[in-house]
Amino acid sequence: MGRRNSDRRGSDRNGRRDRRRQQRPKTVLRARGEQGRRSGPAAESFRCAHCRLDVPLRALGTAHRNHCPHCLTSLHVDGRVPGDRAADCRGRMEAAGVSTRPDGEWLIVHRCLSCGELSANRVAGDDNARALVRIAVRPLSAAATARRALMLL
Amino acid sequence: MSTTDPTTARTQQHSTRHRRTRNTGDPSGRAGRATFGCVLCGLSVSVLGPDGEPRDHCPSCLSSLHVHDQVEDGVSDCDGRMTPISVVVPRDGTWRLVHRCVRCDELSENSVATDDNPLVLMRIAVRPLAEPPFPLEMLGEV
Repeated sequence: MGRRNSDRRGSDRNGRRDRRRQQRPKTVLRARGEQGRRSGPAAESFRCAHCRLDVPLRALGTAHRNHCPHCLTSLHVDGRVPGDRAADCRGRMEAAGVSTRPDGEWLIVHRCLSCGELSANRVAGDDNARALVRIAVRPLSAAATARRALMLL
Repeated sequence: MSTTDPTTARTQQHSTRHRRTRNTGDPSGRAGRATFGCVLCGLSVSVLGPDGEPRDHCPSCLSSLHVHDQVEDGVSDCDGRMTPISVVVPRDGTWRLVHRCVRCDELSENSVATDDNPLVLMRIAVRPLAEPPFPLEMLGEV
């Protein structure tokens, strides 16, 4: 293999040396979920803005998935109503905290890293349990405030 | 006479509404006031906290009032009560309180004052861990 490479380099030295050889077109077999349409009404998956995971939109336990199940990061595209795509911020939204509905379901509170806006979304069935618990115990691991609150109790 | 009656009624209604928002801590009415009344528990709360920071929620029940519009970043005319739903921690390690409006479901984020009720704060902070959506004892095997 190394010999072939050296041969090719030698032939390049004769002709055009600085021009890069163009890549041949490749045909890649993709799963149905990642057929290239990442935006628009027919999109079936989105790419996470933080960990670049390809996330299918259909998942167990949620009808409105807006965050990556691996790192829980979201994207600031919605305005007041979830799904209205009214915001032109497009900033990355990091999971800031966890809240609980009265029926016991968890909500992830996202905060936009570029404009500071907040949004809340229900957890999906395949969200990373370890990442969820890490966010949920973060108030207790913030040592100074938690200790002060506990000592005052 | 019949045309003036609704007008006076409307002005009376407007004035009472204006007085109500001033009493409950509208920021435009806050400037000259030293206290505001909590919308939920009725506690009379001083506008400035113990460390001189302006206060926007009741230190006893942690309820707030929806007067700031976070989407358009101006004054909101909702005036709904905002209940505390979550404690979030930024990178500097301080606690911040997230409120949700009971009327329009909008969220807001406030810093925690030093004299906020620690029982309610701790209850909001540990509430998710008390009702996990999956068994927490399985986490060691994930």
